[in-house]
Amino acid sequence: MRFGGLVALNDVSLSIDKGAVLAVIGPNGAGKSTLFNVVTGVYRPTSGRVTFNGAEITSRPSYEVVDRGIARTFQSSRLFSDLSVLDNVIIGMHTRTKTGVLDALFRPGASRREMAACVEKAEILLKLGSGGLFEQRYRPAGTLAQADRRRLEIARALASQPKLLLLDEPSVGMDDTETDALVADIVRLRAENPELSVILIEHDMRVVEAFPQHVTCIDYGSKIAEGDFAAVRADPRVQEAYLGKAVADA
Amino acid sequence: MQGSASLAAPGKAAAAVFAIASQLCGAAFLYLILKVDGGWQVVGLLALLGFGFYLLERLPWIGDYALASFARAPLVAMATAAVIVVAFPFVVGSNTYMLHLLIVAQLYAVLALALNFQLGSANIPNFATGASYGIGAYVSALLAINFGISFWLTLPVAALAATLFGFIIGIPSMRTRDTYLALVTIAFGVVVQQLLNNFSWTGGPNGLVGIPAPSLFGHSFADPLVIFGWKLPSQANFYYLAAALVVVAIVTAHRLHGSRIGLAWNALRADEIAAKAQGINVAWFKVLAFAVDAFLAAFAGTIYAFYVSYISPDNFTFLVSVTIMTMVIVGGMDNIFGVIVGAFMLTILPEKLRAFADYRLLFFGVVIIGFLMIRPQGLFPQRMRRYGGDL
Repeated sequence: MRFGGLVALNDVSLSIDKGAVLAVIGPNGAGKSTLFNVVTGVYRPTSGRVTFNGAEITSRPSYEVVDRGIARTFQSSRLFSDLSVLDNVIIGMHTRTKTGVLDALFRPGASRREMAACVEKAEILLKLGSGGLFEQRYRPAGTLAQADRRRLEIARALASQPKLLLLDEPSVGMDDTETDALVADIVRLRAENPELSVILIEHDMRVVEAFPQHVTCIDYGSKIAEGDFAAVRADPRVQEAYLGKAVADA
Repeated sequence: MQGSASLAAPGKAAAAVFAIASQLCGAAFLYLILKVDGGWQVVGLLALLGFGFYLLERLPWIGDYALASFARAPLVAMATAAVIVVAFPFVVGSNTYMLHLLIVAQLYAVLALALNFQLGSANIPNFATGASYGIGAYVSALLAINFGISFWLTLPVAALAATLFGFIIGIPSMRTRDTYLALVTIAFGVVVQQLLNNFSWTGGPNGLVGIPAPSLFGHSFADPLVIFGWKLPSQANFYYLAAALVVVAIVTAHRLHGSRIGLAWNALRADEIAAKAQGINVAWFKVLAFAVDAFLAAFAGTIYAFYVSYISPDNFTFLVSVTIMTMVIVGGMDNIFGVIVGAFMLTILPEKLRAFADYRLLFFGVVIIGFLMIRPQGLFPQRMRRYGGDL
């Protein structure tokens, strides 16, 4: 993936199995979020391929990617801030609902039933997660506290019933207790949907440690290490990327 | 605070009384402002209105109470509204000027509701609503004059033609955003008006004359309307026709707003990238907003053409689009009731303040700037969706 002369992502090949969690780590500007943007069709890669469930989805439009079962959150939370918490989650169900303009106009009953079903599902999603999102469901999303905003992003992504969930630094702005609750949420999610795969971009090593089987480290757009958490942590190139050359040599 | 808590949940009877009384007050106010002849009386009524909005702003429970009442007794509220709308021409009697203002206000209400799908729901600044309105008027007028097609058939044809136009502006507009999008729509509006001006088959600057009056069950809309011995001027025909169209527009707006389509529009208003990430086909929903806008605007255009029986390109200028946009901004974006109030106010007030007729554009400019500075959400701001009626 190039932006003009800048190569943001160069040589990163990743794969994730059904039901697995893959943690992607790397210093700021390593290209982690760009990776998500390429997968979800926000950016069109200059070269390379993305396949999902055996089908090629390289450069497919975002709406198709979501429809196929990939949902994401954003690093800087991008909620629909003037809409209620509940509406945010219902919008997440967009690809799982079908009402068109003509249906909405001429079959109002069907449209209403669809919305009622969405409300029900959204309320369940809001009740399941940590934090008091359900109690705040009629508040504008823009007025939520930082941790709740992160949780709402995840709830909204889950609303599309994804097979693959991309979480971009979900623990940003959370304190230790909230981070623990987040980890517990992800663990519970996996227990409830054993098929769900999760790719997690994280800076907080406590979160990465909780899902230690598959960890990949990216730096300057290239993959520099992969393996389980202990192996990646011990890799000298990873230490160099995070701590600088001098320290690693010392 | 205690007062507001107990007042927020009106009983059935109180709700019904409130719904009837408030609507009668609104109708009386409308009657008075239509009746007065400018000058101090208008200023006095405006001061009263301003005081009303001041109260609504300072004491928000009044608004909550009103909404709760209407939600509690929806049938009573709707029946009252229907009775008022049907009875209004009888009260107005033979005052054709008042009826004319009401017809124009209703057509503008439809246009404002049409634009509200874009400006209010999806934040698409479309300055070409006037052009869609004109296309509707011209298509139906041309069909009626040249081929003798009845009004009732031209109505859907004109709407389809304008919808096609909506798609045509919508598709290039997808590629632009914000200011550039506004410029594209301004250009389209001007192009349409210039084409109407320059083609010979549209009558050029002279426009189209002699559009035949529609008729229904043998009753020509050019004849006075006689109901149970009451004789209403011929304008009453168009008054009821326009009222029916307003109802269609309200139902359309309400249903779309309450469906996943309204939510998708709201999503792309709030954050386009996030909307994409939810699987919303942003380009399609933008084009859809253009199409729905054009569809409703064309209905209004058709009724207008048959009502005045003479149209020219001057009726569909850029100023018309600006006026419609002002109505949406003043009334309250994405609030159906607010948009209608905005349309009525901005149709009637300039008529009543005739002394300042030369400054009409200045008036709209000042109103828009004033609202964007003091109350950008409009008189009646959008409200959060409530599900399951627990208000």
